[in-house]
Amino acid sequence: MIALPTNKDENWRYANLRPLARAKIDAVADSATNTEVALPAPLQGYERWVFIDGRFAARLSAPASDSCATLLNARDAGEEFSAMLDAAIATEGADLALARLNGTRGDQVLHIAPPDGASASIELTFIASAGATAGTSYPRVQVHAGRGANLRIVERHVSAAGADSMINAAFDLALRADATIDHCRLQNLADAASGFDTLIAHVGERATYRLRTITLGALTSRSTILVKLAGRAARCELTAGTIANGIQTHDVFAEIEHSHADTVTRELYRGIATDRGKLGFNGKMIVRESAPGADSDQSLKTLLTGTGAEASVRPQLEIYTDKVRAKHGATTGKLDEQMLFYLLSRGIDRRTAQTLLQWAFIEDAISRMDCAPLRAEIEQLVAAQLNEVSALEGLLGKP
Amino acid sequence: MSAATPLLSIENLSAKVGGKNVLHGLSLAVNAGEVHAIMGPNGSGKSTLAYVLAGRPGYEITGGSVKFQGRDLLAMEPEERARAGMFLGFQYPVEIPGVNNVYLLKAAVNAKRKATGQPEVDAYEFLQLVRGKMKLMQMDESFLSRGVNEGFSGGEKKRNEILQMLVLEPALAVLDETDSGLDIDALKVVARGVNSLKSADRGVLLITHYQRLLDHIVPDQVHVLARGKIARSGDKTLAHELEKRGYDWVLEVA
Repeated sequence: MIALPTNKDENWRYANLRPLARAKIDAVADSATNTEVALPAPLQGYERWVFIDGRFAARLSAPASDSCATLLNARDAGEEFSAMLDAAIATEGADLALARLNGTRGDQVLHIAPPDGASASIELTFIASAGATAGTSYPRVQVHAGRGANLRIVERHVSAAGADSMINAAFDLALRADATIDHCRLQNLADAASGFDTLIAHVGERATYRLRTITLGALTSRSTILVKLAGRAARCELTAGTIANGIQTHDVFAEIEHSHADTVTRELYRGIATDRGKLGFNGKMIVRESAPGADSDQSLKTLLTGTGAEASVRPQLEIYTDKVRAKHGATTGKLDEQMLFYLLSRGIDRRTAQTLLQWAFIEDAISRMDCAPLRAEIEQLVAAQLNEVSALEGLLGKP
Repeated sequence: MSAATPLLSIENLSAKVGGKNVLHGLSLAVNAGEVHAIMGPNGSGKSTLAYVLAGRPGYEITGGSVKFQGRDLLAMEPEERARAGMFLGFQYPVEIPGVNNVYLLKAAVNAKRKATGQPEVDAYEFLQLVRGKMKLMQMDESFLSRGVNEGFSGGEKKRNEILQMLVLEPALAVLDETDSGLDIDALKVVARGVNSLKSADRGVLLITHYQRLLDHIVPDQVHVLARGKIARSGDKTLAHELEKRGYDWVLEVA
């Protein structure tokens, strides 16, 4: 029996765990893959892998004939999965409890392994269809990027209908020397759904892992991100943008460990909470004694526009060497009055001006998405979430 | 509005900011077709006057009235004032990354058109118009796609203010120290922009600390603001006299 995290656990204080406690932890029965769903337009140059309730949907997918991705039975992949995890954190502590649950309950794993020097572009679309009473969906992806490999991943989590689906996703990634992964993630689940995910990345020598996430949907979401910069000059760029409307709660715990010399982190978080929305971002940066010359930069900002909105943004630094550059900034605030007045003084009405400034705030995160069509898709969704598609029209990318 | 009604009529205006009285019974009238310069030492209330006219929050009116085209300006929201034809050129224009210049220009023009019952501007014609004005302001077209004032130098920000003014074609332009921080070439460009806007149905209120701007934009009247009210008014020669004798001279006479 795996003990689920609770709000008493150190890194889980701000997550909304009620849906998790109520959820049926068995995997959704394998019947939903025939569900009719509307898919987003394919991304040019990307092979497509579609999953419904965590299971591969072959009829909706279009893998490349020479794809470096293969679908594995979870039992076959299991050992490799646990080998990926640091022994200590894999067996104890609440942070990986959900990943362990995924490992024991899920039954498929997508294994992506571009060989040395290879390039690949893979779109992963996870569709939540079943309601929570039918069980939990357990998407699981393993990535082994070979030396100098170049991988682009677009990962979407969307809902087929308004179901209160429970998703517990697990990603583990290993980048060998000089590999690069550009990983863009969009979570836009239905309002009643719950999205939990755990992501572990080991970044090798001179390798670069870029994770750009935009979280818009679900009643509650929680991302646990653990990155180990495990080789000299390994680099991680983490960007997270989110909007919590209504009574949504979006929580992120991101721990980045620098254990080798000259490792670099660039972390940027932009969150907007409207109405009674709640945001949490706990950015923990660890620099080991073995990491002289490490360089980390955290810029964490939240904007509260609702009277009942809340945010908790915590930059945490644990540094065990002097030879380090660590910059961090965290702010929680309301719309900038000077910017607002500037727009009003140009005749823009107040509501549009407020929306524009919210847009400008979150665009800081969206603009870092490398995949242009996905970025355009996200911009449309964000504009809709800000209830001002028409006002923002001139600023949106073309899908 | 009859020909006799001034474009802007300020009467006995008093205002407080941060609990401190800054304007003490200021009166001033600007007619259509006129350029007025407001000069004065630091802390005399020049910028406060500009902000009060544009409706910036935090400025409390404690007395007097302001009529703009015969309407009660102080009863209007900042955005209504802009749509009615009031333009403030900021001394320190803010940067708004994420909102690009061309978007702001178009949204501002359309807000004004909507208020007067006109249809939205045609996208192609609008771009042609903006390009023409940018040429006049010696601004590269790449500025259009950049965030509002984002990473602009001080001079570029000021030029961008004038560009906005030229595109919006306000009835009254209040320019708050638009000359500060400009080198002589940039000053000439800004002056050319302002001069191109001058017409029989528009007014300009130039707020400046130095006389040099007035060599390039010739005012019909010059007013010296001291201790929150107009201490002296005259024609353009007053500016030269101030340049020679300093503000202390006016303060002594006042």
